[in-house]
Amino acid sequence: MHIPDGLISPQTYLPALALAAPLWLVAGRRLRDRLGDEMLPRLAVFTALAFLLSTVMLPLPGGTSGHAVGVSLLALVFGPWTAFMAYSLVLLLQAVVVGAGGITALPVNALAIGFVGAWTAVALYRGLGFLGETPAVLLAVWGSVMTSALILALVLGMQPWLAHAPDGTPRFFPFGPAVTLPALLIPHALIGAGEAALTLLIFRHARRRRWLAVRG
Amino acid sequence: MVGGARVRPKGSPRAGLFAWLAAVVVATLVHEPAWLAAGCAVVVLFSGGGRVALLLRSLRAVLPILLLISIGYLLMSWLTGDPAWGFLLLLNLRVFLLALLTSWMLRDVRIELALQGWPRAQRWLSILRVQVATLRRLAGEYRDAVKSRSTIAPTLRQRYRAGGALGLAVLDKAVYNAEAVTQGMRSRGALDD
Repeated sequence: MHIPDGLISPQTYLPALALAAPLWLVAGRRLRDRLGDEMLPRLAVFTALAFLLSTVMLPLPGGTSGHAVGVSLLALVFGPWTAFMAYSLVLLLQAVVVGAGGITALPVNALAIGFVGAWTAVALYRGLGFLGETPAVLLAVWGSVMTSALILALVLGMQPWLAHAPDGTPRFFPFGPAVTLPALLIPHALIGAGEAALTLLIFRHARRRRWLAVRG
Repeated sequence: MVGGARVRPKGSPRAGLFAWLAAVVVATLVHEPAWLAAGCAVVVLFSGGGRVALLLRSLRAVLPILLLISIGYLLMSWLTGDPAWGFLLLLNLRVFLLALLTSWMLRDVRIELALQGWPRAQRWLSILRVQVATLRRLAGEYRDAVKSRSTIAPTLRQRYRAGGALGLAVLDKAVYNAEAVTQGMRSRGALDD
């Protein structure tokens, strides 16, 4: 779902960078403190899995397709700070090694998907724990995907107002929230359901293998 | 290397990485289509051999999103009776220039070398690349093994079940491999800092 380069204005990505930079510092320090010989290989594999999940296309109605995110899985297994750091690495790898996504859009994507997505997944999972593990995981992942999609839709939808020529012509992404909200939220309601099922499968497996390291 | 044409990059990898970062930011600050078109021309001119492959790679990367946005915007602006051709030119040129710059960087800058001096970043990049390659290889091998054992085409339900079991087996194997690699790295002092 992440935004490519050229659609986001400097008025958006520069403040996002200013916001993301201290969060990366905090996440990096927390990761360094927790990272041991047990967690390193698991985190590396799950981060690589998140990278690959974002390349697996899920078919959508109308012949289109979307991709899973994988940040909820990282958050439920390793906690939100670690998930944020790991997903930021995924985005960086996509931008500088594969050329997918974008380097200017990276802070926006990292905040919307990595930070908010991870915290939403963990908050919903903890808050809905009384429903039992399966519904809590499914709803947490779906809610996380939808929240990230909502933020990205709003960020994209704000571009015509944030960056436009004196005559009002947009300079970056041209459509407002009336277009971006349904365009992102409707497909992601289905993508989120697919990702929730996939995450539940892997989360249960991780629990059986005692790989969970959730503390945040 | 792109499209079979080997290109010898000039200058230091780190300078190349920073030049790309600067160029990408500048491209988002320029709002004149003529300057963006000039930027595209400069990249094509200076990118050396394999420039056709570079152009095609960039075009493939951004064509779907540009078509989607451009057609949608044209339809909307025709409905309101005011097609903004200038904006479409600006957007398409900007996104294409950014894709061109990124394709050039990906082709000519060795990221591992550009990150010399930042051992942690280098290590994480290597670890992730190895894990991505390992997961891909394992998934391919397991898939081929299942195919070779199947005489009739499986139903959708069977495919999902087999896919789930395969995915988890691949995950187990990848974690096992990664643990072995981590122990090897630890024993050689690679994780001491």
